Amino acid sequence: MLHHEHDFILPNNAALSIRCRGKRMIDFKHVTLEYPVTRTLALDDISMHVGKGEFVYLVGHSGAGKSSFMNLVLKRALPSKGEVRVAGEALAHYRGGRTALLRRRMGTVFQENLLLPHLNAYDNVAFALRVTGVAQREWPARVTTALRTVGLEHKKYALPLQLSQGEQQRVAIARAIVSDPPLLLADEPTGNLDPDNSREVLKVLQNVNLRGTTVVVATHARDLVETFRHRTLTLRKGKLVRDDPYGGYAL
Amino acid sequence: MTYHFRQALVAMRGNFTATLATLMTMTLTLLMLGFVLLLTLNVNRTLEQLESQVEVAAFLNVGTDGAALLKQVQGFPQVREARLVSSEEVLEEMTRDSPYARDAVTLVGNPFPTTVRMRVGRVEDSRVVAAAVARLPGVGDVEYGAGYVDPTVRALTAIRAAGYGLVGLLLMGTLFNILNAVRVAMYARRNEISVMRLLGATRGFIRMPHVIEGVLLGVLAGAVALAVLTPAYFGLARRVQLLAPVFPVVTDPAVLAPILGGVALLGITIGLLGSLFASRRYLQELE
Repeated sequence: MLHHEHDFILPNNAALSIRCRGKRMIDFKHVTLEYPVTRTLALDDISMHVGKGEFVYLVGHSGAGKSSFMNLVLKRALPSKGEVRVAGEALAHYRGGRTALLRRRMGTVFQENLLLPHLNAYDNVAFALRVTGVAQREWPARVTTALRTVGLEHKKYALPLQLSQGEQQRVAIARAIVSDPPLLLADEPTGNLDPDNSREVLKVLQNVNLRGTTVVVATHARDLVETFRHRTLTLRKGKLVRDDPYGGYAL
Repeated sequence: MTYHFRQALVAMRGNFTATLATLMTMTLTLLMLGFVLLLTLNVNRTLEQLESQVEVAAFLNVGTDGAALLKQVQGFPQVREARLVSSEEVLEEMTRDSPYARDAVTLVGNPFPTTVRMRVGRVEDSRVVAAAVARLPGVGDVEYGAGYVDPTVRALTAIRAAGYGLVGLLLMGTLFNILNAVRVAMYARRNEISVMRLLGATRGFIRMPHVIEGVLLGVLAGAVALAVLTPAYFGLARRVQLLAPVFPVVTDPAVLAPILGGVALLGITIGLLGSLFASRRYLQELE
């Protein structure tokens, strides 16, 4: 449940004060990922962690391993070596049907917003509650709060086609947070957006982070990383080459 | 459940051609199966009647120990019942049927041999029993109505086997159609399925609309098949009773209801199993 309503516009460095609270949300221990068919080494002996409540950027060129990192956390790929833990639990424990339970603890946002075109904004957000079996009586309050968090409460009856790209992405964020997951993964969430919409989306993600949600954003957007400064992990050719606690885009 | 049901209807409407093809094949299969089952029921009834009428008669040579032969014949596992009929008893029977037989006796003596009459457990065994009895010492000749029993049994067995073969092929065709319909429906929903998986939907939740689709198709096909089969059968039964009353056509609803109900149930079962298998397989493919 979303309990607090925050001002939509936040200071650029607001999240710095709540960085890393000790416990680990994501923990990589000597993780290597090699795709078996192509024999591509996507990640090479990565060890790092993301603390609960942190806002972390994952930056790097195309092919650096950002999406592979996300795929491992989402358990869409399995590490060739090493161990991945989310919220203290090794992902190896999530097998078969339990993978669904793991994903209920994470919100995901992608470059393509993956909204269902025949559903309006409200129903797209409510879809996340439907598929996870949340009682229907809880939907109105939760969906409305999520849409309010992303600043789109007034557009809840609009179909995706009637929304701008930035608004669609904000609906996707609302859908990702409506179940109140402790972790939000955003893979190139501003990849299809113009600078203004990109800033709006980043502000929404910071807003989500301020509620206590751990946020990991994989991005190319140098200006955003420089403007909204947070801890930044830099990947190059599958290796973690830099972990800057105060941010900055240095490739 | 309302959501899943609605999604199943949306999928069926969205892939109308595949749905219609599946529905038609399923209905045809169930119709054929119903036809073959009803035919078998009537064939069995006819065979039972034949069984009750068919006798194997062994005519003994003069001087043969009829009682000893009777014991031997009663030892055959296929023989349900056997009795010894003396030549005098045969003459009595013949005289009852044609009184002039008595006059013939005054001219040539009793021409009828002592006879062992047997009834077999299954009419198909008549020929085997007849052949075995014919080889026994003291048996002059054997009769078992071979003229009509053999061809009848052969024809009915062949029709039944061909019917089951055809139903088997149609069942396979139906299953492939269901697999195809579910595959098309899942492919059409691939974006939605991808979102569902990311949001943490269980496999059962994702597969449910397709399973419902399969069951709905089974229910529809079963209903259509029954709606066609029931009046058609009773119409045909009336005609057979009128034109060939010798055939004991089954019209007892208490006997027919389990068969017709079974046909409808099989439709639902095929739909359920086909869609369960297909949704499981194609979900793995999408993953």
